[in-house]
Amino acid sequence: MNWFLFFWTVFKAVLFSTGGFGPLPSLHADFIARGWATERQFTEALAIGQITPGPNGLWVTSLCYLVAGVPCAALSCIAMLLPPLLILVVEFCYLKIAGRAETQGALDGIVLVIVGFNTFLLAKLFLGLGIDLQLAMIAVASTALALTRKVPAILILFVAAALGYFLG
Amino acid sequence: MDDRVSIRQLFGAWFKIGCMSFGGGAVTQYLIQETFIYKHHWIGEEDYSRFIAMSQIAPGINIFATTILIGKRLGGASGIFVSLMGLVLPSAVITVGMTAIYVSLSSLSRVQAALRYAFAAVFGLSLVTNWRNVAPILARNRSQGSATLAASIAVMIGTALVYALLSPAVVILYVAGSLSSALFYRRAAKKSASEHIK
Repeated sequence: MNWFLFFWTVFKAVLFSTGGFGPLPSLHADFIARGWATERQFTEALAIGQITPGPNGLWVTSLCYLVAGVPCAALSCIAMLLPPLLILVVEFCYLKIAGRAETQGALDGIVLVIVGFNTFLLAKLFLGLGIDLQLAMIAVASTALALTRKVPAILILFVAAALGYFLG
Repeated sequence: MDDRVSIRQLFGAWFKIGCMSFGGGAVTQYLIQETFIYKHHWIGEEDYSRFIAMSQIAPGINIFATTILIGKRLGGASGIFVSLMGLVLPSAVITVGMTAIYVSLSSLSRVQAALRYAFAAVFGLSLVTNWRNVAPILARNRSQGSATLAASIAVMIGTALVYALLSPAVVILYVAGSLSSALFYRRAAKKSASEHIK
């Protein structure tokens, strides 16, 4: 494999996208066309990215590991870390116009869109699991426990997974 | 930079998040809120809300952009470096390890059931994370009057409805939501200014 081409392919996909799943269309087109990955590897990597620690975007690391092992996974991490540094330019521009009502409104508007969009997408994925009473109870109990802020998130996830393993 | 936080503490906080945030981005965001806002009080809810909004405009993975902003606020350039390393190193290593394990176990029905149940928990945690992101905005808007609050709720619900019915590009939703909200805030600010003059 040409490592520079591989690095550029991942870097380009991340640079011209936003969000964890944003690089998917570009990576899918390039990796499949070059014969680097299969459809199944994409599906597996996306599923693993939902449960592993860190941002959802680490599904790319999972995919790159499946494609060519640890060196490829490490290179993908570097390629993913560079484009978000442009946030420093965004912040610099923001500070110039921070005091205006429109600026606050625009930023609040983006958060409102994210919350509406994320809630819809997550609900769609959740319903796509083939929801039953047990799954609904897990979701409700997780929400309630998280709201109390007394139970660590990792414990909530571990107990849910253990219940699935033994009861599911 | 913030004198209350040492570089070592900052790295430790992110390293812990990188190790513990099983469940992807939603749980990572949840733990960032828990650690930096509620446990250590190193940043405020309003700051965090502004950081995640700015992060949506930057290219790439949003949580990395948020990590950079928090790292810069608390530790300057070295804060950015240790924050990114603290988050990425453990989570990437665990991701690679879990990928290797998953490939060998993915055909087992019990493993698939465990993943389903874990996702239900991720869904619950995500709802709380979303609520925490939007609560400071709604609280601020409520103090400005019921019309501003109603407009914010309309943007939120409208986004979900438009996406469900039309599936436009996400960037269109961002532009429409931020523009409509900016116009509404501008109108509310003008109205408030004219009332002060009277």
